[in-house]
Amino acid sequence: MSQTIGSRTLTWLDGARRSVCRIGWPATDKDRAAAMISSLFLHIHPARVSRHVLKPTYTFALGLISGILFIVLAVTGLALMLYYVPYPPEAYRSMKDLQFVVTFGIVLRNIHRWSAHAMVGVVFLHMCRVFWTGSYKPPREFNWVIGVVLLLLTLGLSFTGYLLPWDQLAFWAITVGTNIAAYAPVVGDQVKFLLLGGHMIGPMTLLRFYVLHCVMLPLAMLLLISLHVWRVRKDGLSGAEIHASPTEELAGAFPASTKTYGLMAIGKRPRASVEARDPNDEVFAWPHLLYRELLVALAVIIVLHIVSLVFMAPLEEIADPTRTPNPAKAPWYFLGLQELVHYSALMGGVIVPTLLVLALLAVPYVDRGAAGSGRWFAPERKMANTIFTSLAAVFVVLTIVGTLFRGANWAWVWPWK
Amino acid sequence: MTKKDVLPDPVRRSMFAIGCIAVGAATAGFLAATFRFLVPNVLYEPSRRFDIGPPSDFPPGAVTFLPDRRLYVFNGPDGFYAISSICTHLGCNVKRGGPGFECPCHGSRFDENGQVAQGPAPKALAWYALSLSPHAQLVVDLDQQVSPEFRLRA
Repeated sequence: MSQTIGSRTLTWLDGARRSVCRIGWPATDKDRAAAMISSLFLHIHPARVSRHVLKPTYTFALGLISGILFIVLAVTGLALMLYYVPYPPEAYRSMKDLQFVVTFGIVLRNIHRWSAHAMVGVVFLHMCRVFWTGSYKPPREFNWVIGVVLLLLTLGLSFTGYLLPWDQLAFWAITVGTNIAAYAPVVGDQVKFLLLGGHMIGPMTLLRFYVLHCVMLPLAMLLLISLHVWRVRKDGLSGAEIHASPTEELAGAFPASTKTYGLMAIGKRPRASVEARDPNDEVFAWPHLLYRELLVALAVIIVLHIVSLVFMAPLEEIADPTRTPNPAKAPWYFLGLQELVHYSALMGGVIVPTLLVLALLAVPYVDRGAAGSGRWFAPERKMANTIFTSLAAVFVVLTIVGTLFRGANWAWVWPWK
Repeated sequence: MTKKDVLPDPVRRSMFAIGCIAVGAATAGFLAATFRFLVPNVLYEPSRRFDIGPPSDFPPGAVTFLPDRRLYVFNGPDGFYAISSICTHLGCNVKRGGPGFECPCHGSRFDENGQVAQGPAPKALAWYALSLSPHAQLVVDLDQQVSPEFRLRA
């Protein structure tokens, strides 16, 4: 009797479990492939992936890390919103509360701040990786364009977040930043007026930056990340084809995939094969890809915690429009521009950044040869790589100079003195 | 049935075209309205025209800095004049230094009239119109820029 009750209860529990998660813990490769395909959260992965793209030295997981940082920023940001008041001077007081009163508030704020800085750097490195491996070659041209827009959104999110603490650092960085925007010809002053919601940085500016930072830009980013990843999923990672051994079709059991896709309206040509060709070059995404991703996520979270426990996010005195700190610096990722602006405002503030963005957007449509995709520093792409690397290096050097080598009155200083 | 018979009715075609234009116009109007919505109609900022006290508050030959207004007020031999302390480069506050002004942000220098002497600033510091109110107060109007010849005799 009691056995019957026991087994009935188990059956009932199993039924309840199945109503939530239809496939149990997958034991066979077939089940694992099915799990990948049937789960909303896992089907972002293909069922099988090429061994080549799993090599850590091919991608350095930079895109994945950017995505993880975005999730960390969204979660910590939501938590911070529970205490933050977007109105001066309450804004500054809520920062002080987060720092000294709210339990774990300081850790959350530190993680949010350092993740934001890290994300700017990682997204930039991801772009460099994609360039150096020629991964924007057809059919991935448009995904590069989406990536450039995502880089701009990352900068925009970081910049709008910079004002929110309402301290001296925030106020003067945004003063310098929005005045750079004002150098745009014809519409510059109007753009600045719209951004600030007035003639000066005040409550309206804070509210505008807050809404942009917490709602509009993250939503735009989520949409574009989805599109970006969706296309990677459909095109596969670059290089899988050329690294596959030429045993295609011979294996018999797995004929070459003929599945192609054309993303309606957005995708252009149904050219890319969904999976890499040769079954010998492929492994199942579960566990090979999935466990690597979890490991990277874990590593990112551990590093963020260590950094956030050791280094405090800066918070200076409350914003004071009458007192300019010397020097007044924009956020670090704009200091390359500020260094240029120091020589010529129109050149550094408008012409150079506009040309840089246009050049980045045009890259896959100008550099059209198909050769050299899927390998690091392919010799066929020597010229493209040289040009890109030189420009990136100049930008990095300018940023370092603006960050470390400029002191009071923007005069040259040695950082170790 | 010939092919000609199944061609779309011209009335329906033009109705369709009119519909397309209407939808396009509505979209454009919606975008324009959205943009206009973003432009604030009321600014909860300090007034752009304000009084700064009676002329007697500014002794002859003295330079007074009004930090809240980001303004230098001079009482020179020919009369009063006011120069903005907002650097025309990137909006930092310039300080008095040497005969003129210095910007702490990027090292721009201006002479005693606010003209660019050195550095990245693209234009001279702004001069604003001064006037006397009926109550004998000095009034600054930030929406009215004037040339460096401006003097107010009070």
